[in-house]
Amino acid sequence: MQLLWQILINGVLLGGLYALMALGLVLVWGVLNIVNLAHGALIMLGAYACYYLFTVFGLDPFGALPVAMAVLFCLGYLIQRYVLNLVIRAPMFNTLLITFGLEVVITFLAQMIFSADFRTVNPSYAGANFLWLGATVPLVRLLAFGVALGLTFALWLFLDHTAIGRAIRATAQNLTAARLYGVNPRQLYALTFGIGAALAGAAGTLYGVVSQINPYIGSGLTGKSFAIAIIGGLDKSIYVLVGGLFLGIVEALTALYIGPTYTDVISFGILVLVLIVRPTGLLGRTA
Amino acid sequence: MKLASTLALSVVVVGVLATVPWWGSAVLVQFGINALILATLAQSWNIIGGYTGYPSFGNSVFYGLGGYGVAVGMVQFQLPFATGLALGVFLAVLFAFLLGLPVLRLRGHYFAIATLGLAEVMTAIVSNLEIAGRNIGLILPLVKGDTLFFELSLALLVITTLTVAWISRSRFGFGLIAIRENEEAAAVMGVNTTLYKILAFALCSIFAAIAGGIHAYWITYLDPTSAFDITLNIKMIIMAVFGGPGTIFGPVLGAFVLSAISEVLATKVTSLASIFFGLVIVAAIVFMPRGFTDLIRRFRQQGWRYFQANIEANRV
Amino acid sequence: MKQLFSLLLATTTLLFGRPLLGAPIELGASVQLTGQFANTGRYYGDAYQFAIDKINAAGGVKIGNTREKLVLKMLDNQSDVNLSVRQYVQLVSQDKVNFLLGPFASDFVLADSAIAEKYSIPMIQGGGASDQIFSRGYKYIFGTLPAASDYFQSTLDLTGQLKPPPKTIALLYADDAFDVSVADGTRKAIGKTSMKIAVDQRYSSKASDFNSMLSLIKSQDVDAILVAGHETEILNFIRQSKTLNVNPKLYAFTVGVPSADFRNALGQDANYAFGMTSWVPSPAFKDDYVGNAEQFATEYQKRFGYEPDYHAASAVAVVEAFVKAIEAANSVDPAKLRDAIARVDFDSLYGRIRFNAVGQISLPQTVVQVQKGKLVPVFGPKGVMEKALYPMPAWGKR
Repeated sequence: MQLLWQILINGVLLGGLYALMALGLVLVWGVLNIVNLAHGALIMLGAYACYYLFTVFGLDPFGALPVAMAVLFCLGYLIQRYVLNLVIRAPMFNTLLITFGLEVVITFLAQMIFSADFRTVNPSYAGANFLWLGATVPLVRLLAFGVALGLTFALWLFLDHTAIGRAIRATAQNLTAARLYGVNPRQLYALTFGIGAALAGAAGTLYGVVSQINPYIGSGLTGKSFAIAIIGGLDKSIYVLVGGLFLGIVEALTALYIGPTYTDVISFGILVLVLIVRPTGLLGRTA
Repeated sequence: MKLASTLALSVVVVGVLATVPWWGSAVLVQFGINALILATLAQSWNIIGGYTGYPSFGNSVFYGLGGYGVAVGMVQFQLPFATGLALGVFLAVLFAFLLGLPVLRLRGHYFAIATLGLAEVMTAIVSNLEIAGRNIGLILPLVKGDTLFFELSLALLVITTLTVAWISRSRFGFGLIAIRENEEAAAVMGVNTTLYKILAFALCSIFAAIAGGIHAYWITYLDPTSAFDITLNIKMIIMAVFGGPGTIFGPVLGAFVLSAISEVLATKVTSLASIFFGLVIVAAIVFMPRGFTDLIRRFRQQGWRYFQANIEANRV
Repeated sequence: MKQLFSLLLATTTLLFGRPLLGAPIELGASVQLTGQFANTGRYYGDAYQFAIDKINAAGGVKIGNTREKLVLKMLDNQSDVNLSVRQYVQLVSQDKVNFLLGPFASDFVLADSAIAEKYSIPMIQGGGASDQIFSRGYKYIFGTLPAASDYFQSTLDLTGQLKPPPKTIALLYADDAFDVSVADGTRKAIGKTSMKIAVDQRYSSKASDFNSMLSLIKSQDVDAILVAGHETEILNFIRQSKTLNVNPKLYAFTVGVPSADFRNALGQDANYAFGMTSWVPSPAFKDDYVGNAEQFATEYQKRFGYEPDYHAASAVAVVEAFVKAIEAANSVDPAKLRDAIARVDFDSLYGRIRFNAVGQISLPQTVVQVQKGKLVPVFGPKGVMEKALYPMPAWGKR
């Protein structure tokens, strides 16, 4: 019983990290209709940003978080503005392919610049944990969970209650009408993708503290983020929390009761099932 | 008239290619086998992606099942190669029917994601199967003689291309194109969209599976990651898209051109080869999203403005 | 006379495709210089070059009355198995190298050795230890890494001498060729001790999350943990065992511990971890071309900027084995050379080089432990070397 409780705690905390990872993807997909296969690569860059801020400037990861987010925001803005904006009205499939190409390029450049050596971000509190109701709770994962909640809430506030947020949503729904109201879609799209990249950067920062960083972690993270996005649903950013938690708990339970080599079978199996049975996600409106 | 000349030219080209093992270097033959298999895969994707408009990321599953059919058949049951191929094709077609049915109800990028998910699931499932050697994979019996593989791959490509040519002129093909252009209208006009889509999916599964079987036997080694390789899937899509989806020769052209450039890079400037595909994809999608064949056709009329026009049409 | 000789040389080259006499000896290799295995792959690339430079500086390889230089033709397989297979075919059939140096990692060696066998060109590799490589009856493949199934033997011998002895043991292993071989052999070896296997878990090679396994191990209060996996996984494992406060009396890993940047990445958290190496940079290992193993380590570090480990030493041994075999056979004919390699027996900076009937070397593993940030050999083939720090203090008490 004790073990099950610990596994559930593991799953929930993992879910928080997962939700944080998928948040940026959900924003860009749900609002811009861009399926970003380079999402994992952006997370990877966020992790490296945190690493360099930590080792070169001695900045604590949570202090590095906003800086990494800002760096990734700029990068995302530029990518959207000068590359993705050029293909955004083409069939959706084209953006899938082009973001894949970007992923290859980003990974290659990362390996050239940062080398293939793996890195870790090891602040003094990296291993801290405390006991709660009989389960060991790793501190950093709990904080990551908090960051995930915070950013999701912040995103919701931004999209629903600020002028820019409303402009983004309006543009997503009806480009022509938004133009008539004086919205500059090029900048808006770039802004949105930038925010998505910043969120990926946040996830990367925390990922580097709990796991290790190398240029190739991107594609695996993209796959996971996809599963989470689909399972939760793309309508509202808050659904990503549900998707993340669900996947985190299911994976933790699978690893224990079925076997650690089956986690991918379960995660992607559920992804396919959800797509077949309920494409709008566990929580989304039925089409 | 155009048909006769195209046919004659094709026969000559195939004839010349068939003689390559006798005068080409071992490296050329090896490159050839790879390029031919990739061309077959691109062409098979063309059926479901180019003609029917359903961008599938699941063709690598058929490729992998074909490979495993041969590997399991030959290693675990000591069956001959041809029987292994048949086993692989059977598995692939079964998969196409069983999973095609639910998945083909999805549209556009949801279909793409679903097939991507299927590819990941299959990799994970096979890496847990004892009979398939789990994640370690299987070592196939060694056979010397690349000539056999070259001719087999060439024959496969020819058959696949002929099938696509037939599709482009048949009622079945028109139905597929109708589905691509406007599925609701096609259904209203009496096209049995479900049946047609499943058949298209099954057709491409056959060719992809045979390609996978040949490749596995040739490389003498198979493991889940290389069998169901997602990057391979992207490559075949890029080649088909680069060459011209929905055309007969587009994917073949795309496959040969991109393979050649990639191979040259891999031997001369090896580190550039890995970034090459990424850059090609980005450039192709931006400047020539309708493929090489479209480029050739319209370049005559529009010249360099062709690229500009593409961007204008697709940018925000 | 000179012209006649050149004519003869040209004729033999034309007839046989590769120079038989009077030309540099070409060694071909396809190595993971980029891609996800580049971290360890570079040891092989750098060490091959190092060894060849040293041998050439000493005058080269003695064949008949002349001495020939060695030339390295190395390609980057970008950590892609299929590409490495194609590259080996290219090296053999287009570049017409004389012999093949192997890549890193058992799954690469498994696929690439098939090419050596297919074209009957000897390949010596220092990167693959899985039993499968040597159980196919291939004649042209040799390996300088000891058998995977024996990797944990010396660690288990050590546990037999520790007080209080561990009673329960957990065995975790990745699902690739090498680690499965290790696990199979280790399971048998544990059966011969009095320890009970409490947890026996296979995990996916790409895994980064060990929380479930660690929670299971903690709930069973296991004394010792053995992990057979890759450096990145083991790194994650150790960090996560800290965050979940898992405190076994001992944990030992197949890879990672001997390598400097692994220890740097973990910092203090690396302490008390046990690892193994088939090689230590000790002056006791004397070498014909480099002096001894300690000198090798210093020179290598100076030239490439990082410490070598057993991967690098193993790669040097590969090149030296070729040289010794060529000199013994007095020829570069592949079939003759194959037999000569099977018969080599010499001492090098890597230890005694000698291949058994299936082509694999047999070297005992030395158990090492990280103590206060330094790598200390604690248990070798002759027994205890230094005192092992056991049991491992709990995370909170360090």
